[in-house]
Amino acid sequence: MTATRKTGAAAPPSGDGMPEPDVVDLLVAQHAMIHDLFTEAAASHGERCRQVVARLVRLLAVHETAEEEAVHPLARRVIPQGAEVVDDRLHEENQAKQLLERLDGMDPDDPEFRPLLDDLRRDVLRHARHEERYEFNWLRQRCSPAQLEAAARAVRAAEAVAPTHPHAGAETGGKAALAGPVLSLADRVRDAIRGSRDG
Amino acid sequence: MLRWAIGGIVTFNPLEQQGIPLDRQLRDWRELNVPPLDPDAVDPYTRCRVITMNGIEMEAVWFDHQFARHCRDQEVRRQLAQLRYIEAQQQKVVNWLLPGVSSTLETTIGYEQVAVDLTAWVARMEPDPYLKQAYQFGVLEDFDHLYRYANLYEMVEHRKAEEIVDGLTEVMPGRPTKFQHRDPRDNVRDPYDRATTSPLSKLHALTVMSAEQQTMNFYCNVGPQYMEPIARQLYQEIGLIEEEHVTHYESLVDPGETWWEQLVNHEYNECYLYYSFTEQESDPRVRAIWELHLNMELEHLRVACDLMRQHDTRQPEEIVVMSMPQVLRFEPNKQYIRELLDTQIDLTTLGAGYVRDAHQRFEQMQQRLNGAEPPPTERVIDEHRDRFGSEYRMQTDGPHPVAALREDSR
Repeated sequence: MTATRKTGAAAPPSGDGMPEPDVVDLLVAQHAMIHDLFTEAAASHGERCRQVVARLVRLLAVHETAEEEAVHPLARRVIPQGAEVVDDRLHEENQAKQLLERLDGMDPDDPEFRPLLDDLRRDVLRHARHEERYEFNWLRQRCSPAQLEAAARAVRAAEAVAPTHPHAGAETGGKAALAGPVLSLADRVRDAIRGSRDG
Repeated sequence: MLRWAIGGIVTFNPLEQQGIPLDRQLRDWRELNVPPLDPDAVDPYTRCRVITMNGIEMEAVWFDHQFARHCRDQEVRRQLAQLRYIEAQQQKVVNWLLPGVSSTLETTIGYEQVAVDLTAWVARMEPDPYLKQAYQFGVLEDFDHLYRYANLYEMVEHRKAEEIVDGLTEVMPGRPTKFQHRDPRDNVRDPYDRATTSPLSKLHALTVMSAEQQTMNFYCNVGPQYMEPIARQLYQEIGLIEEEHVTHYESLVDPGETWWEQLVNHEYNECYLYYSFTEQESDPRVRAIWELHLNMELEHLRVACDLMRQHDTRQPEEIVVMSMPQVLRFEPNKQYIRELLDTQIDLTTLGAGYVRDAHQRFEQMQQRLNGAEPPPTERVIDEHRDRFGSEYRMQTDGPHPVAALREDSR
């Protein structure tokens, strides 16, 4: 993974004896990127804001799909009362998705846009913190190295479908990208993750 | 209402103000349930004021407990219990403004921003040269803690401390934490003289002592919640420096002050700080809390003054000023800190004074504690450099004033 310094990199330079980032590192780095994009969106206007939101929408889709496919099922199995913990997280995700669907394609000049973006930010960041505290904390303790590695592979496969780093170039479509079908992106991410298991 | 200006000079005599009667100060659950600040929208200095007042309220509560434990008069103990319960409610309201969505490390960085900009302000305003030196000495150490935690923050949470301190406070090395471990005997300063020192000096000592004490307790409690070995160790090391700082600042206070006198000083200080923060608060909702608490504290001060008049040989008017000193402000102190870095980075303490040489007692402590292995505050920077290729700093006003502490000199 080659994150830029701007949004906080998870990847150490290779070959220096430092451990590779594990799945928790990757997900926490994505949370940090999501948080930074919210900050950027709040500070920008017009076309620029539209682009940032498009990137945010895509990153959220990739991130949440990877979690649903590869992380939550693992958490269900390995952490005590894992099913209940994961159900709470899915409930939060569904609430955020409803806001996301309303925001998707909305004009930044729409008077409803800013309050909605603010609500989404609060929901998503609260959800991310809950995951870190009640779910991710357990993964490193309870999972085998092989389980952690498989989950990390899935997260990387998801990222490869729709690169989540800034300046990846994919968001140049602006409004087209934002209005683009997030659901189909999620489907492609899901396919890629399932493919990573076979590979 | 509470303040009035005469010829441009604001006069405010808390001893003459009418507060809220004590029997009307109790708040119910609904009133205690304050909505938290939004961490992405908050003015960093609003967060600093919240953290400061939490430390002040915690000190108020624990001072009252200690007083009660040393008091034989049952009626006084009951009055203290009444005051203390309200102080405890104030602490709940103030500290519960902190957002749960913030991580422990984000709050920690807020604590260190308080330590830097609060202590720097106090150092600038302190009239007594010996006390001023104590704050100048201490602030360079907290400044270094901010830099160490900021590097940990980027490593474990992948975000940058500038998102929290917002460019108001620079992030770069201060007096390196590894050199802050001194023989405990050298942390004891000489106290001011309660009869001759300026009342403002008493408020300063109480304020900085309370803030450092809260910081120490916070690190003691949250440090072990981390799983990352470097995070656990960093909180341990800096937590031990906070123990030194509490010793350093509490020893400035004249131990000859009577319990009654101390109670008045505590209540007066709370009035002073709530008054100060009411004056400068940018968030209207938070300002309303400062103003409400000021009105409560005015009554606490009245009760404390009455107790002093009944039980002490002196009058409260003899120990506090009749008009409030200049308000305490949170504001950037970048140039002041840079000057101190340039001139005082290599100081340490010997006895109650300050020296530049690494004397025997200092060297012995260093040897026993640090030994052959680099301490956690050094390793956190090394690990950050290994992982990101450089260390985290935020120098808005040019290169580090000390050439040896510039990043390219390493």
